[in-house]
Amino acid sequence: MNPFEVLGLAPVFAIDLKELEKRHRDLSRALHPDRFIGAGASERRASLNKAVEANEAWRVLRDSVSRAEALFRLAGVAVGERDEPMASPAFLMEVMEWREGLAEARAVRDVAAVMKLSGEVSARAMGSEEVLASTFGPKKPGSHELKLAQVQLGELRFYRRFLEEVSAIEEAWQDELPR
Amino acid sequence: MAYSEKVIEHAENPRNVGTLDKNDPNVGTGLVGAPACGDVMRLQIKVGEDGVIEDAKFKTFGCGSAIASSSLATEWIKGKTIDEAEAIKNVDIVNELNLPPVKIHCSVLAEDAIKSAIADYRKKKEQKNL
Repeated sequence: MNPFEVLGLAPVFAIDLKELEKRHRDLSRALHPDRFIGAGASERRASLNKAVEANEAWRVLRDSVSRAEALFRLAGVAVGERDEPMASPAFLMEVMEWREGLAEARAVRDVAAVMKLSGEVSARAMGSEEVLASTFGPKKPGSHELKLAQVQLGELRFYRRFLEEVSAIEEAWQDELPR
Repeated sequence: MAYSEKVIEHAENPRNVGTLDKNDPNVGTGLVGAPACGDVMRLQIKVGEDGVIEDAKFKTFGCGSAIASSSLATEWIKGKTIDEAEAIKNVDIVNELNLPPVKIHCSVLAEDAIKSAIADYRKKKEQKNL
């Protein structure tokens, strides 16, 4: 399945997220089972399959990591742990330091430290997304470009994991607030 | 997904959590990451003059299976020679902890961490002997 094709979007990384939501909503409405009550069995089945496909395509495209993965696959590059270059030791060292810093800040309830780390990692994530956006733009990427972008995708997964952890901490702290 | 009892036991009471001095010439440090989930694992060994691993410590930011895999790995390699430790395979960890297929990459990570710590230790020794 080509998720871009399913939702009628150009296969680029920097998609318009509002447009994505609109296409998904319009398509879901057009394919709603209520509209096919009088239709034959095969037509009903076909519309249901299309609705499932539209949901799946929307799910893939709304997330930057899975959107990038879809673009790599379309460019004929396998993605996944075994097919991607290993993260460099220097990068892993940084991630380890961030994770340790975050755990420490959580333990002593240092909100400012959590915000600082979160800002730092968010900026790095944005940098990776910029590289992915310029790789998967209107012009087809070359093999060298794809190689460089693969590293960014790998790093983006680590950033996202870190930022998920930040959200979990923020939620836990919210819950602990006196009411 | 249900964790096996052994995974829960290790995840709740991890052995050998901590750090060794990475600048100590007898300490090897392995740092590995799993891009699929964005988890990181650090495993360190302190090797005696006889080539036996005297101490092992780890720090893992990841799921219960990743913590259990690295905890078990440090338990196993303590008292072994580095050659014996290097022979540990991820399937040994999978079998001991009853890891389900989706968590096999956690055991691979632990095996890689052991190998990377040993490689770091050997590199230090070589540099010293030059």
